Amino acid sequence: MNCEKIQELLSPYIEDELSEERKQEVEKHLQGCASCRMLLVSLKEAREAMGAFPQLEVSERLMSQLYALPHRKKRFKFSFDFLLRPSLQPILAAATIILTLISFYFFNPNKAQIDKSINRQIHLGYSEIERLYAKAETLATNIGEYKNNILVSLLNLNPFGETEE
Amino acid sequence: MLVNTYSKNIFNIAYQFTGSYQEAEDMTQDIFLKLYNSLSKYDFQKNFNAWILTLAKNYLIDQYRKTKWEKKSRDDYKDHLLTSDEFMSPEDELVKEENKKIIWEGLNKLPSDIRMTIILRDIQGKKYDEIAEIMSLPVGTIKSRINRGRLQLAKILNDKKEKRHEL
Repeated sequence: MNCEKIQELLSPYIEDELSEERKQEVEKHLQGCASCRMLLVSLKEAREAMGAFPQLEVSERLMSQLYALPHRKKRFKFSFDFLLRPSLQPILAAATIILTLISFYFFNPNKAQIDKSINRQIHLGYSEIERLYAKAETLATNIGEYKNNILVSLLNLNPFGETEE
Repeated sequence: MLVNTYSKNIFNIAYQFTGSYQEAEDMTQDIFLKLYNSLSKYDFQKNFNAWILTLAKNYLIDQYRKTKWEKKSRDDYKDHLLTSDEFMSPEDELVKEENKKIIWEGLNKLPSDIRMTIILRDIQGKKYDEIAEIMSLPVGTIKSRINRGRLQLAKILNDKKEKRHEL
């Protein structure tokens, strides 16, 4: 086994959780590998250090604040913390872009020209719609005419071969 | 009653997780406030101790993700964690305290969920099945997180030791 595989087994090794076979593999590797041996020492020291962190006593001030908590009525508390949520970031970015564009429009020295160009675009849009509307009307009239033609043709059909008197 | 039984445990987990005494005090208050508001949701089938610690863990990790404490440094190790062992030689004590300082600062380099798992196992001394219940994860995942966290801390300690020898 290579060093990487052995290193993954060091933690279960110090907790005596490996099978006898695995344990022997680790020990055999450790005998010949100084860097893994050093890591094992550091691993044990790290565990020992964490086990020696003292458990602190809670300060009297905090205790009295905690005792007072149940009596504290739930008050409406507004905070801007929600703005920091990562999920809001795309929305805030989009809002920033929109606000920047709006400010460009309102504070632009050529605002009159922009207005004119927007008006022109709107009018072009209107005339396009009117043109489409006129086309649609022509189409509707044409369809009406076709319908009449088809009806007349059907009426002129003589399916039973009767002769005109 | 709740305060007497759980405040020390929650405060210490918060302190070890955030690395800031002031932050830990504020978080402990927030966690208790959340606890009082959630007591009606407690499922009596579940272990109450694990339920409270799950609530604390969720709150701490959520706050961490929102505010990204990793950018801030942890309190100086000497502020609250210095201990002394009268049966140890001054040299040994110095090395041990130095190791504790390195590990204390190294905790900040672990991702939040691994840091919490390591705290519960190696600092709080909880059993694997208890941690699995608190973290709502299978025991196998917990063991692999602890493994990764310990290796990362051991490598940090190793690097510091090498630098110490070079000097």
